Amino acid sequence: MSDWNDHPLFRPVRLSSQAETTAAPRNLLAKKTTTQEPLLVPDVQTLELDLGCFAIEIPALASWLEPCVRTAQLKLTPPSVRSIVGSNKLQFDVQVEGWKFLSPGQSAAVPALPTLNSQLSTVPPTLEELLTPKTVKPTRQKPPADLVMMKERLLTLLQPPLENLFHGKKIELPFKPFPYQMEGIAFLMPRHGALLADEMGLGKTMQAILSLRLLLHAGEVRRALIVCPKPLVPNWLNELKLWAPDVPVEVIAGDGLARKVAWTASKSPVKLVNYELLTRDADFALDGNVQFDLVILDEAQRIKNEGNKTAEVARSLNRERSWALTGTPIENRPADLINIWAFVQPGEIPHDTPINELAHRTRDGILRRVKEEVMKDLPEKIIQDVYLELTPGQQEAYELAEKEGIIHLNDLGETITVQHVFELIMRLKQICNFDQRTGQSSKLDQLTSDMAEVAESGRKAIIFSQWVEPLEVLAQHLKEFGPLLYHGKVPHSQRQNVLGEFKSNPNKHVILMSYGTGSVGLNLQFANYVFLFDRWWNPAVEDQAINRAHRIGQKSTVFVKRFITENTIECRICEVLEHKRRLFEEIIAQNGQPVSLGLTEKEIFALFSLSHKSRKAAA
Amino acid sequence: MPHQRHLATINLHHVPGRTGLDNNALQLGFLTIQQDQQGYSGGYLVTNAWGRPLEFRVTTSVVPNKVQQLLYGPTLRPYICSDLLGKVLVEKAGAQVQLVVTDCDAALELRNQVQHPVAWLAPMDHSLFHEWEATLIAKAKSYALLAHPKFPDDVEAIKTLLQQTEVSDLAEPFGRVREALIEARKMGALKAA
Repeated sequence: MSDWNDHPLFRPVRLSSQAETTAAPRNLLAKKTTTQEPLLVPDVQTLELDLGCFAIEIPALASWLEPCVRTAQLKLTPPSVRSIVGSNKLQFDVQVEGWKFLSPGQSAAVPALPTLNSQLSTVPPTLEELLTPKTVKPTRQKPPADLVMMKERLLTLLQPPLENLFHGKKIELPFKPFPYQMEGIAFLMPRHGALLADEMGLGKTMQAILSLRLLLHAGEVRRALIVCPKPLVPNWLNELKLWAPDVPVEVIAGDGLARKVAWTASKSPVKLVNYELLTRDADFALDGNVQFDLVILDEAQRIKNEGNKTAEVARSLNRERSWALTGTPIENRPADLINIWAFVQPGEIPHDTPINELAHRTRDGILRRVKEEVMKDLPEKIIQDVYLELTPGQQEAYELAEKEGIIHLNDLGETITVQHVFELIMRLKQICNFDQRTGQSSKLDQLTSDMAEVAESGRKAIIFSQWVEPLEVLAQHLKEFGPLLYHGKVPHSQRQNVLGEFKSNPNKHVILMSYGTGSVGLNLQFANYVFLFDRWWNPAVEDQAINRAHRIGQKSTVFVKRFITENTIECRICEVLEHKRRLFEEIIAQNGQPVSLGLTEKEIFALFSLSHKSRKAAA
Repeated sequence: MPHQRHLATINLHHVPGRTGLDNNALQLGFLTIQQDQQGYSGGYLVTNAWGRPLEFRVTTSVVPNKVQQLLYGPTLRPYICSDLLGKVLVEKAGAQVQLVVTDCDAALELRNQVQHPVAWLAPMDHSLFHEWEATLIAKAKSYALLAHPKFPDDVEAIKTLLQQTEVSDLAEPFGRVREALIEARKMGALKAA
């Protein structure tokens, strides 16, 4: 509480001169306040003042003071708070999308594949190996263009490289596949419709078998059917045994009942049938209960004709995947490919598809490689055209036959057909091989000389002819070289033995084959010489024949001799075929539309300078 | 020979099972986080012991805004890679794994979120490699494999697990995951959130 003396209302009043009241009192008061000493009275004069004392009522003090209270806003204005929304939000939004894939063990009704325990390696990779990237570029599957389901596309992309599967020792291989073969497997595996059109000898069979085996192991294929020409059934069995020893295979054969059981009741994951039986067993094969996850057609040119019964049955098989194998998808005309495609991707290519669209529309489903492209270390193939003069006896017979034949054709006038021309060609070609009257043959003379060289060097040779008869005659003349025969008249049951003997018996230097029987599917890479005793109509078939020897596994140069008699029908056919071969190679190299490789009707008539128009008029 | 069995020794009715083909005991997860102009996105592949895909998951892209970048600061990347993308990918996957391998250093923090070991496949020239060398599992010329520093016991566990795998190259599956991420994005599965 403050001192009363300090209060202005109670401050003592002292009357003094003007001078005294200026500064001193304040000082004295100050002193009194501080020291409590008695006031010193200065020498002053006292003045009497009549100070009447009275009191007045102060109304204001008579009543209670009522404080006037004013409220004051002490709360501060709320701060401006801006909520963080929209692009400034603090939380993260994330969504997850996922796909589950069927693991091999989850696949329902997957046929059990035996494990080759003896072959499986159990040595795990070391940690250092796990951390060392592989130097070889891995072979990965790519989703085909027509695969639209995202899950399937991702499943394809997420498959491990093929090398991993093989290196992982889950799938043991007898030999390491070539990189292009790995690419072929990666091409086939994700495709439901595919045409593997590698040149002969590059291993189409092996690529198809390994692809099938991997799909069986992955559980993506449970039932497969392989269709091949009858002579190739043993070859397929051998290849399956080599490349897929853990895959049980059943050959559909035997009497009708046995085949019915094989088609309808057998649980074998892989069935093998030839084209003839497929056609004959159409009722069994097309039964609604007979379904396949994969059908492989080997030598698929067998279904190149639309109306062919075999083609109809093949196209009607109940199947998920369709693979066709052929080195010659176009033997004669673009329609060959269209008809094969009707099996590979049914309904994709109409029959009236323009040729210039064909290559584009099939591009994603065809894989074709040629040896020059992928087998740089495959031994060389040297082709030599050997032009021979007819022997006098042959020459006389030839001239007579040709003269009579042409006269006959001219006499036919407008009734002439291509069949008439064919008959003359065949007769002349046979004379070019042998003169039946004298038995003379310039080709035989040359061949005997060549074979002596082949046998002396311990090598083996294959001789091809269009007909069985000259092969049998040749066999008589080449006895000293241990000839073996392999043609349509040799029973199927003996054919494998013939091939086995040719391979293993060092005294068997030569095998005589017909184009029709021996030109496809056989592995004869232990032979180094190929003789084309006469020429086939289509260079693609000749290539097939040559490639029995010039294929994977061949260690030495392959020498091919094509016998052509000078100034004969053989020369003229050869010129036409060579021209067409060059054209084909150019087009294939440019991936453009293919053309016919064989002789057309017009070209056949032209061999004898006959007008195609006259034939048309006759027709 | 009317009926010919290719392998006479194999009797279909007596094959005990797909032994050797069904070794699904070990399942591995491969986790990658990609950071590009579209933000962060994750891919997660579950394989069996020999690399076959069992499940694949992807996330939408996450693009941190300016505020998030400021507030999360240096913890942003580990948070997105492990707590956000890594965790959601592993948790949403139906297939359970015994080991997750990641090629993203920041995703190694996922180990704090899951019960099983997480290993980081680190390039040998990575700056963090030397800091975390205490939990080195193995190293080779190109890569090292490391466990999370807080979980030293994982080192032996991961070694044991990897001895059971038949994957021949731990870096290889990440190439598949990246390709599949591109494919999924191309086909519209991944759009920025």
